[in-house]
Amino acid sequence: MPDTTTGVVVIGGGSTGAGVLRDLSMRGIEAVLVEKGDLASGTTGRSHGLLHSGGRYCVNDLAAAIECVEEGRILRRIARTTIEDTGGYFVSVSEEDLAWEPRFVEGCAKAGITCERISVEEARRREPALSQHVRTVFWIPEDGHLDPFYLVMGNVESARRRGAQARTYTEVTGFIRDGNQLTGVLTRDTMTGEETSIGCKAVINATGAWAGFVARLLDVEVKVVPVKGVMVVLSHRVAHATINRCHKPGDGDIIVPALSVAILGTTAVKVPHPEVLPIEWDEVRHMIEEGSLMADGVSTARAMRAYAGVRPLYDLGAEAEGREMSRNFAVIDHEQRDGIAGFTSIVGGKVTTYRLMAERVTDLVARRLGVTTPCTTAEVPLNDRDDELDQLRHRPAQLGVPKPHGGERPLQPLVCECELVRPQDVTPWFEDAAVRTLEDIRRRTRTGMGPCQAAICSYRLAGRLVTDRHQDGPTATRAMAELLETRWRGVRHVFWGSQLRQAQVTTGLHLELFNLDRQLMLQAEPAAAPEAVGARQ
Amino acid sequence: MKCDIAVVGSGLAALVATRTLQQAGRNAVLIWPGLSSLYFTYATVDVLGYSDLTTTQPVEQPEAGVAKLIADHPNHPYALAGLDALRSGTTLLIEWLRAAGFTWQGSLARNLLLPTAIGTPKPSCLYPESMAAGDLQRDEPIVFCGFVGYEDFVPELAASNLSRSWGRGDQSVRAIRVSLPGFDTSRLFTSIDLARSFEDKAFRREVASRIRREIAIDSVRVGVPAVLGLTHDTDVYSSFAAEVGHPVFEIPTLPPSVLGLRLFDRLRKHIQESGVEMIWAAPAHEAEVSDGQCRRIYLKSAGREHPIDARAYVLALEDMVDGALRAGVHTVVDPFFHQSLAHHAVPTERTDESLFRPQPFASIGYAVTDRLQPSAGDGHPLARNVFLAGGAIAGYDPVGTKSRGGLAIATGYRAAKEAMAA
Repeated sequence: MPDTTTGVVVIGGGSTGAGVLRDLSMRGIEAVLVEKGDLASGTTGRSHGLLHSGGRYCVNDLAAAIECVEEGRILRRIARTTIEDTGGYFVSVSEEDLAWEPRFVEGCAKAGITCERISVEEARRREPALSQHVRTVFWIPEDGHLDPFYLVMGNVESARRRGAQARTYTEVTGFIRDGNQLTGVLTRDTMTGEETSIGCKAVINATGAWAGFVARLLDVEVKVVPVKGVMVVLSHRVAHATINRCHKPGDGDIIVPALSVAILGTTAVKVPHPEVLPIEWDEVRHMIEEGSLMADGVSTARAMRAYAGVRPLYDLGAEAEGREMSRNFAVIDHEQRDGIAGFTSIVGGKVTTYRLMAERVTDLVARRLGVTTPCTTAEVPLNDRDDELDQLRHRPAQLGVPKPHGGERPLQPLVCECELVRPQDVTPWFEDAAVRTLEDIRRRTRTGMGPCQAAICSYRLAGRLVTDRHQDGPTATRAMAELLETRWRGVRHVFWGSQLRQAQVTTGLHLELFNLDRQLMLQAEPAAAPEAVGARQ
Repeated sequence: MKCDIAVVGSGLAALVATRTLQQAGRNAVLIWPGLSSLYFTYATVDVLGYSDLTTTQPVEQPEAGVAKLIADHPNHPYALAGLDALRSGTTLLIEWLRAAGFTWQGSLARNLLLPTAIGTPKPSCLYPESMAAGDLQRDEPIVFCGFVGYEDFVPELAASNLSRSWGRGDQSVRAIRVSLPGFDTSRLFTSIDLARSFEDKAFRREVASRIRREIAIDSVRVGVPAVLGLTHDTDVYSSFAAEVGHPVFEIPTLPPSVLGLRLFDRLRKHIQESGVEMIWAAPAHEAEVSDGQCRRIYLKSAGREHPIDARAYVLALEDMVDGALRAGVHTVVDPFFHQSLAHHAVPTERTDESLFRPQPFASIGYAVTDRLQPSAGDGHPLARNVFLAGGAIAGYDPVGTKSRGGLAIATGYRAAKEAMAA
């Protein structure tokens, strides 16, 4: 007998898995999501956050472009608070770009993408950041920023309100089968090692770049090609709207203003494993150079960190490589293909089309389970209840940041000054069992994502681990150190200019004022250590 | 502007150098590049906390520790400055602190172990009287007292860590919180707001009585966040401690560290009041050198560059924080002589993979002669009348050994002495 039972187990806590969980729960199907790390800690949380109008795909990948158009419009209805409607520019800076333009215009027309040619003068009036290299400009009103973290959390919270469960740090280690029918999954807690089993009628493999590993546990093959992309985060928005190069999608040709920062993207390099994502200096340098061709201020802005994500490109067997491969997705019915009843994979795709991917795979699984309730995820907003997640866009007003026209309130306390995170924004997450690390708090609240990269807030969060979670000091201190180390791994790649000053302040605070390096060494010493320090000589 | 000796810098090295010149009757001008971020993370003056980076065993006697370090590492900045400079500079600083109205304690003979805001014992050499009761070589149990709504000092975290690393048993450390009159937890407040409030007698008395009510037993000492007064800290501390009725000690908080503000602000004001001219918020650069002598440096200010013509210069800059060095993507250059001090093909080479190990960037700086003159690394000075102090000297990394204060004192004092002799 399994430890618990449910209707469907969803494997993978990215946007697809979260979307599937919500879709199942809205059709009244009991479901449990298992994710081996944290929600949005894989591909989704490492995306560049571009809400695709479809413009980037309309020439080479029309089907994907059309999906982006439709899904972008749906997301604006159902996930308003995760989207910033910045609009976007497609700019040409070279002869090759100009030669691409007719195909771009034609592709936009075919895909139904609103696209308006504007004069460079008009474009510069609207967007003074456009560089002197810019020769022609298209305005694409439906490009924008999609907050990948809020999107996943919003889907999961919506599903939880309907009775679904999400278990983080829970890895699938095997399956339970009854002949050809899957009847459950075996899981292991990646932190405690605790093993459990979940009985179910169906399993959906929504693990993106990891889909092949999950399928292999059943001796079936799912060919996913992991393609790395590196992003650079600038400490301010640089531009009002997203900026794309009007050319065949290539490296370093997107700038996305995302909340308080701007993200430069990206590269495309095939990697042997989705977790082997080295950040090469040439990639970082190239992105800053290419970004500078499109917008002034990219090379002079403070680069805060770099990070790498992995695209889960589904190998349709074609010869295509990297960006040439379709961004389309596929539902793999393993009952039909491999004779394993109750197992379905959803592969390929992108964050912008996560909802459609979820709908398609849930349609199939629901039909197999005999559930006829139609999909409603395109109509019902994520925040269909009063929900703090909904408040993101109104945060400065709530904080009492002075506004030009009256209505000033005293400043409220902050946990993170860089990202304006209030105590009440973090408190509920300390009560959530799915949240295990301070990085998990960061993903849910943006705490620690600003210029100081957690130098200040990490201490306050460690304090909350002791006061709210009743952890002991060494455990909380280790968590604080791990948050700082994780941030440092991204900071190191863009280490010039004022980044050195910031690092000096961070080490001055943590290593000198707090003596954190010795605290960590003392904690690592055997239990006899307490007598050694501070003992009477 | 013409002067005898120009000192450039915003940290302790600049202050010690300026005071040294002033005490010798020299006409020094202090050029202050701007508020250093180190202000906000400073508390005690640390001379040498650990003899190397791998030990958790603190140095008991900082002076003896530095002597051994000098013997073992003849190129260390302490060795360049010399043990005498540390001794004389420390004596000068202790006297200066007294003259400026501080009641600091400590000496080069002994480190005190004081708890930090994460509850870790930390060896400190010179410290304000208000921190002294935290001495972890004393036996009395400790109560860490935090304030409701103030998360920049978390007593529960400090207590939990200290109870494990301090060999007095679990019962000997605990945490309490009291609420503060007038500090509504729905409002933002910082250590500076609290420090101002503690200067008010009625506020202080009320907080003390709330703490007293929380502590039922005798012979404990009470550790509070270091917010006991912004400027009149000595009076605030002693009257507050008397009202609490137990020994009280301050613990430096998250920035802004009121202890750092008190120290730097008062020393800076004191030296101004005692007649030293100070030029505010003016970053300096561009050394004009002829015949091996620096003829002038320039101050950047609104609209134009101001030349400073001095007979000698002390560049007492604290690394990146006050603009001593400029880090481009690949090359770190010095703003005075335009030397390339370090070149890195890839910026990650400037860092260690771990934030908690020594960072290569921290050691980047000017090569110096045995008189602390900047050199091209060949032992010859770039200018005979320029002397370096503080973090801009190559190989100067006080972080792991906890030696920021002592290095500043030794190099600041020595550079000033050399400038007088130039």
